[in-house]
Amino acid sequence: MAVTRFQFLSTFSRQFSSISNAHIVQPKLRIEEIRGKRISIFDKEYKRQQSLIPRLEKIEVAYEGFDNETTTLVMNKGVSTPYNCAQHISEHVMKNSVVAEVNGEIWDLHRPIPSDCTLKLLSMKPEDQHQASLVNKTFWRSCSYLLGAVVEGSFQDDISVTLHSFPPANVRSGSFVYDVQLSLDDWVPSLNDFRQIAATFQKFVRQNHTFQRLDIDSSVALKMFEDNVFKADQIPHIATKSSSGNTVTVYRCGDHIDISRGPMIASTSLVGRCSIAAVHRLDSRIYRFQGVALPSEIYINHFAFGILETRARKLNPARTPELKSN
Amino acid sequence: MPNSAGHVKFVMPPIGSIGSGLASYRDLTRTLTDEKSTLYSALSAIVYMLQSLNRSPFLLGFLSNHEQVRNMSRVKRRNTHPGYWLSLKNVQKKDDKISADNLRFMREVIQDKYKNKSPLKVSELQIEKTEWDPKTKRSGVIARNIGRQQMWDKDGNKIVCTVLHVLDNHVIRYIPPEEYVKTSRGAIHFKNKTPLGCLVVGAEATNPEKFTRQYCNLFAEVGLMPKKTLSRFIITPNAALPPCTPITAGHFLVGQAVDVYGKTVDHGFQGVVKRWGFKGGPASHGATKFHRRGGTIGTGRDKARVWPGTKMPGHMGSERRYNRGLMIMRINMKYNVIYVKGTVPGATNSIVRIFDTLLPLRKFKEAPPHPTYFPPEDGTQKEEDIWDSRLHVFGSPSISV
Repeated sequence: MAVTRFQFLSTFSRQFSSISNAHIVQPKLRIEEIRGKRISIFDKEYKRQQSLIPRLEKIEVAYEGFDNETTTLVMNKGVSTPYNCAQHISEHVMKNSVVAEVNGEIWDLHRPIPSDCTLKLLSMKPEDQHQASLVNKTFWRSCSYLLGAVVEGSFQDDISVTLHSFPPANVRSGSFVYDVQLSLDDWVPSLNDFRQIAATFQKFVRQNHTFQRLDIDSSVALKMFEDNVFKADQIPHIATKSSSGNTVTVYRCGDHIDISRGPMIASTSLVGRCSIAAVHRLDSRIYRFQGVALPSEIYINHFAFGILETRARKLNPARTPELKSN
Repeated sequence: MPNSAGHVKFVMPPIGSIGSGLASYRDLTRTLTDEKSTLYSALSAIVYMLQSLNRSPFLLGFLSNHEQVRNMSRVKRRNTHPGYWLSLKNVQKKDDKISADNLRFMREVIQDKYKNKSPLKVSELQIEKTEWDPKTKRSGVIARNIGRQQMWDKDGNKIVCTVLHVLDNHVIRYIPPEEYVKTSRGAIHFKNKTPLGCLVVGAEATNPEKFTRQYCNLFAEVGLMPKKTLSRFIITPNAALPPCTPITAGHFLVGQAVDVYGKTVDHGFQGVVKRWGFKGGPASHGATKFHRRGGTIGTGRDKARVWPGTKMPGHMGSERRYNRGLMIMRINMKYNVIYVKGTVPGATNSIVRIFDTLLPLRKFKEAPPHPTYFPPEDGTQKEEDIWDSRLHVFGSPSISV
């Protein structure tokens, strides 16, 4: 049977090849299998971490809202998230909150709060300049993540798509970026291709997935990303940089799981209009996908958005991935 | 009716009162005078005429006077909605607050983008040298009615003129006859006629932020700033112009006749006296509550109902009309202003379209600027203000010795 023979061949070549592993073909079916596998590992780890909490303890969360009004909420330690606090406040706050500020530290909306704290919920239009730049960075980081999620599933079955990484969010560069390796030499995408990827992005985003965060051990992470050569390479570096020395943060959005350090927005419903501006070819089959997007709350006319798109077409000067050939 | 030679003579009906019937008569007279007429062709002419009777209310009345002819009161006079085939023009959503710095930047971007695409030099446009002939139909022009002004002729008679400001017209695209006939509008227009081309002209360049992306894309191919008004002009192929060609007041000549097409002044809901010219009732002599009313609306006997098309109060005005054969008295080349004798449909500051007249006795006898006016290459300009010969020029002495 073709499937088993093929699987045997690929494992064979993986064990014995000394050239860069990047030339393995990963058909589309395998990508869905991979995702399924990652999700099962994620779910298992999530359940395990939940079961570590023996008994629900209460914490006091001081929510600072509109006009600096403070409300005290009694929430569950290690289980309640800022989103749960928002649910106690109002529907408007619940729907429009992007990130939270827990004790001054920027915090995911669906990440459990570990102890007593002060809470602020930030929307897409905060008054404070500093808060606005934080929210902006979070939005761009999430858009990079989503770009990777969409690109992985956009190509035909015979083309292998391996996500490499995305550089830290830089609003001044004019675009959010994801570096992907494709088994295509000298691919020049047409206007139609851009529109199609943007349409897939929009469709994915309209499904209103939430960003679920999980801190996992580097060994679990390696198991999750064993089929992605680049991620497997990056995980040890990321783990050493973390606070405990061994943890890696992963985010799950819908069916897709990826590694990222910083906080993400609450849900994809906050992303509005988006456009894939350019695909630049970096050396040896690595392509830099660049896009620009606006939050759903903010509307600007087509001409202004066109200016943003034109700017996003320029090659993003963010760090290029170094390909290590084994 | 057929005379001894077998020719059939028709009285030419007044232009404008009949629609498609006119073309059929013209064709008919042409065929009959061209070919050697025989009794057979005369008979076939009668058959054709009878067949066309139902298309022409005028001939109906001409031949059999017992049928009442209901004309403009029966016709659908206006519709206010734009055509379903047109792309959405105006933005539906308001922008979120953009900072003053960003607004200034966007204005700079617009200026940079469009400043090179202002009227191109003539030498840069590829204009084919075509010959003018009396059958040529030139492009028209989009203008704004800016009010009325009086001129006086040399005998001291006052001539009331309407001042029309020719806006910044640019050609957007030319649709050749074969293509235009395939469109829905073109198919209706040229149902039984030889197809002609269509020139799309736009006027009044505006900020692209005010319009939707689809509307701006209509102009994006030629690199023009989006225009507020668009118009189609039916032209013969020899009068075609390339995109981005500017059309100015110099397109017309002083002394020529033009037809001006516009939407009439909107009078709103009007009574029967103003709308249809009824006499109403007596002002005094005991008339109770019957001064401006319509009176009877039916006979009561045959049909026993109110006939459709009965003249009653209703919305008056805001209809598209042509004022034909207006003479051009004066053209100002510097400000692109045309003074046209008489009045024009519509209120002041409304948009009108100006065409070369189709009245046969007032058409061009010599070639006009064909296909349009271009300032001469050697830099010598036509004089700035051109007056008709019989007008008294303001500022000149009233007695010349």
